[in-house]
Amino acid sequence: MSGVVAEASTVVTPALSHRPWWRGQPVQVALVIAAMWLAYRALRLEYPWPSRLAWETLQFELDRFQVWLIEQRSAEDKNVVFAVFDGFRALIDDLVRWLEELLLWLTWVGTGAAGTLVVWRFGGLRAALITLAAFALFALTGLWAESVQTLALMLAAVGLSLAVGIPLGIAAGRSRQVARFLTPVLDAAQIVPAFAYLMPVVILFSVGPAAAVVATMVYAIPPAVRITALGIRGVPVNTVEAAASMGSTRTQMLTKVQLPLARRMVLLGVNQTILFALSMVVIAGLIGGGGLGAVVNSGLSSTPSVALLAGLVIVVMAIALDRATEAIAERTDPARRHLDAARLRIVRLQTAAVAAGIVVVIAAAKLAGVGSTYPPAAGVRQRTVTAQEWLLTRIQSVLDYVQDPTSWIFSVTEPTGIFILQKLLLPLQQFLVEGPWFTTLLGLTFVAFVVSGLRPALTTFVMLGAIGVTGVWGLAMDTLSQVLVATLIAVVIGVGLGIAAAESKLVSKAMRPVNDVLQTLPQLVYIIPFIYLMPVSIVPGIVAGVLYAFPVVVRLVERGLHDVAPQSVEAAGAFGATRRQVLTKVKIPLAGDAIMLGVNQGIIMVLAVVVIGGLVGSGGLGYEVAQGLVRGYFGQGVIASFAILALGITLDRVTQGTRKARKEGLG
Amino acid sequence: MIDHIEKNGEQKEDRMLDRLDRRRLRLAGLGLVVATALVLVAGAVAGPRAAACGDVVLNENSWVGSTANVYVIKNVLETRLKCKVKVLNITEGQPAFQAMADGKIDIVLEDWQNLPGTPYEKSKSVVSLGTNGITGVIGWYIPRYLLQQYPAMKTWRGIRGKESVFKSPESGSQGMFLGGDPSYVQKDRALIKGLGLNLKHVVAGAEPAQVARWTQLYKQKKPVLFYWYDPQYLNAQYQVVQVQLPKRTATCKDDEKKGGDPKQYACAYPSYRLDKLVSKEFLASGSPALKLVRAFKWTSKDQNVVANLISGKKLSKDKAAAQWVKANAKTVNAWLK
Repeated sequence: MSGVVAEASTVVTPALSHRPWWRGQPVQVALVIAAMWLAYRALRLEYPWPSRLAWETLQFELDRFQVWLIEQRSAEDKNVVFAVFDGFRALIDDLVRWLEELLLWLTWVGTGAAGTLVVWRFGGLRAALITLAAFALFALTGLWAESVQTLALMLAAVGLSLAVGIPLGIAAGRSRQVARFLTPVLDAAQIVPAFAYLMPVVILFSVGPAAAVVATMVYAIPPAVRITALGIRGVPVNTVEAAASMGSTRTQMLTKVQLPLARRMVLLGVNQTILFALSMVVIAGLIGGGGLGAVVNSGLSSTPSVALLAGLVIVVMAIALDRATEAIAERTDPARRHLDAARLRIVRLQTAAVAAGIVVVIAAAKLAGVGSTYPPAAGVRQRTVTAQEWLLTRIQSVLDYVQDPTSWIFSVTEPTGIFILQKLLLPLQQFLVEGPWFTTLLGLTFVAFVVSGLRPALTTFVMLGAIGVTGVWGLAMDTLSQVLVATLIAVVIGVGLGIAAAESKLVSKAMRPVNDVLQTLPQLVYIIPFIYLMPVSIVPGIVAGVLYAFPVVVRLVERGLHDVAPQSVEAAGAFGATRRQVLTKVKIPLAGDAIMLGVNQGIIMVLAVVVIGGLVGSGGLGYEVAQGLVRGYFGQGVIASFAILALGITLDRVTQGTRKARKEGLG
Repeated sequence: MIDHIEKNGEQKEDRMLDRLDRRRLRLAGLGLVVATALVLVAGAVAGPRAAACGDVVLNENSWVGSTANVYVIKNVLETRLKCKVKVLNITEGQPAFQAMADGKIDIVLEDWQNLPGTPYEKSKSVVSLGTNGITGVIGWYIPRYLLQQYPAMKTWRGIRGKESVFKSPESGSQGMFLGGDPSYVQKDRALIKGLGLNLKHVVAGAEPAQVARWTQLYKQKKPVLFYWYDPQYLNAQYQVVQVQLPKRTATCKDDEKKGGDPKQYACAYPSYRLDKLVSKEFLASGSPALKLVRAFKWTSKDQNVVANLISGKKLSKDKAAAQWVKANAKTVNAWLK
């Protein structure tokens, strides 16, 4: 059966093995953990990481470095490096300001009409309606000015992220060396919490749009690179070989074969980049991004309903951008456009009509004296109606219910939270934090060895050792316990829903908006109300991690299952395989890489919100990072971020190791 | 402005002016290019510009008291001095100071003594204009209703031996101490150790998260002991009292990150003078707004009134400020004299 599948598939896939790849491993892992547990029971709290093995002045050295940087920055004779940064900053600042001024100059009617018509022309009616609804919402919430500011910022950030990310992704997809070099850089960019580099970004780029764009780009570039590379690599080898044998040059190969065939993946990368960028709006707001991010930040402690409203506007903006780009990409897909001369003329006429329509609307709006925003800026007399008050009252009544400890739901959620905390999180936390450091270190290394081999085990040992040496062993073990729990839950939910979404159109349709909301709604605006329902530490942070991570797992798993070559599925069907057999014996093994990428990304996403956890009562490394930024403990923030990164690299290599191990097992 | 220049030597003054000139020239050139580009491409849209005062940039921090300061001053600047005010939301502490050093923020109206000791203070790129009239208090707080059952808890001694009253799901047999927002000065871990109390320090996270924890317990009339401060508008809504900690001594330490014997920390938090800060550039600008900021002084009661209008009554920030300014014309006029 398996041999037939491999032959039938156009994708070159190693033959499937009947032996489960993990045979024996669970037993070994259980033995190691049992030994660790015995040591924990016997020597609990007696061996914290010894101070003789810690580099205690590191933090102060790092603090001194920041002071030096600040002094250099404000020095009279700017050194060349800073001059370059200044130029770059001015460029991006101007770009964003120009975009914003443009959107304001068009007037709110003009901007809305132009956006909708452009999307309608290139993306079709459905996407245009979504775009129109988004603009209507900006106006109705009374947050037009803020929305436009954020929109300008995000257009710039996404555009620049793609301009950097896609070429890098192509390079990484075509060359193993480039990929090997880029991977750790991307890991770092995605895992190191933005809170840790906000201050250096502010020192180099000051505050304002440029700093906000740079901070956003650091986070939004990695998905563009990764997914583009995956797409290029996923182009069937025999197609590439065929093209090469026909004498294609490298450029031809790229533009005529690899890119067109990887188009779907590249576009998935674009969508992910948009969502990742939009998820940075609030953090960008901390360093001068302004717009909706600033509304969320200033609303969190004073008026949570306003923060929530602004959060929802961010989500709608993300969905509209995502749908519009997707629809435009689909409609302009050369593979689907078969235009004859007559049809082409009609299309050109349509374009001209749309352009003329936009000009007419803008001219009319200008002549009628329509304001640049809706409602117009203070001072301009114009009758306006927004739904802001109404929406805020509704949101507030939900918040009031949530904050009421006598409500029915509280009597369910509070005990649930306490149960999870006391039965799951605290025991695991104590086990890792309070066990003797050497058994924990060796035990985890050994687990890594059993699960995925020697190299990942060495990585684990070195990374955990480095965490200990930098003096944050206890905090890191605390965070590790939380990350493990959150990742486990996220992967279970994500793989399950991903499979369901791939098998059922209905689930897939229903999942999409859920994914979009969870990936772009600023975590703090919903986690803080959630604390009222579950007033215990750690659990809200776990919830934030799970909710942020599982959508990515769902997306990648679903996409992976979809991209399984249809011939394999048909062949299996022809041999009389049931739907379930097709799924478990054909689709899932063939989509293995994409699924493992999902698990891998899930871990990275969980780590990316460790700081949010720190802000909602998870403590650990996240709290240290957040405190480092605001209290000026630069060293503390960097060390804690490094520890988060070290945990990330460890977990990443160990899960990637299993992927390789499985491949070898398959071969 | 005048006394600032007088303090400098003549030579220094010349050099400064020279530097300023060069910088202005460069800025003007750049500004001209940018402005022309904007006019050509996007068209000029700016409304009527205020002549006398010009642009003033205020920074709003994450706590409501800061919002109250900022919007009241914004209202006065706009209505009385016809300034064009912009409010930024740069995160407090170092990022905001760097923004001031870069000339992106002119004024911060409430700094809880974060400036002293930073490179920005040393280089005088951020300058304190003294108190905004409010004294900040940090300490350990409990709900007032707790005193009915445990009157001795007015002081820390009353907590000793009774720690388990504050038990929570995460504190095991110990009592829970709910820690404060990461951005605030804290020494509670050292204090607990130094005082020999059987409490577990639980971090609650950012302020809204901490508020969620203790107000839920408050609403259920359960015991809770937490890091808190004043002025804070919630103190009008919830009856909380400070637990007396040992009196401050000369050797008292406050920043537990500095380490050392926990006993040295076993004393009350100091009270904080909340300072107004301005950037070096703004100080030299001679803007009429500077005079107002120098004169600005109010009380924690005033601030709480505005904060409560915003957070409690859900008025917009501008409306809340306008309402207070209208009702307190006398105070406001005194700032403008």
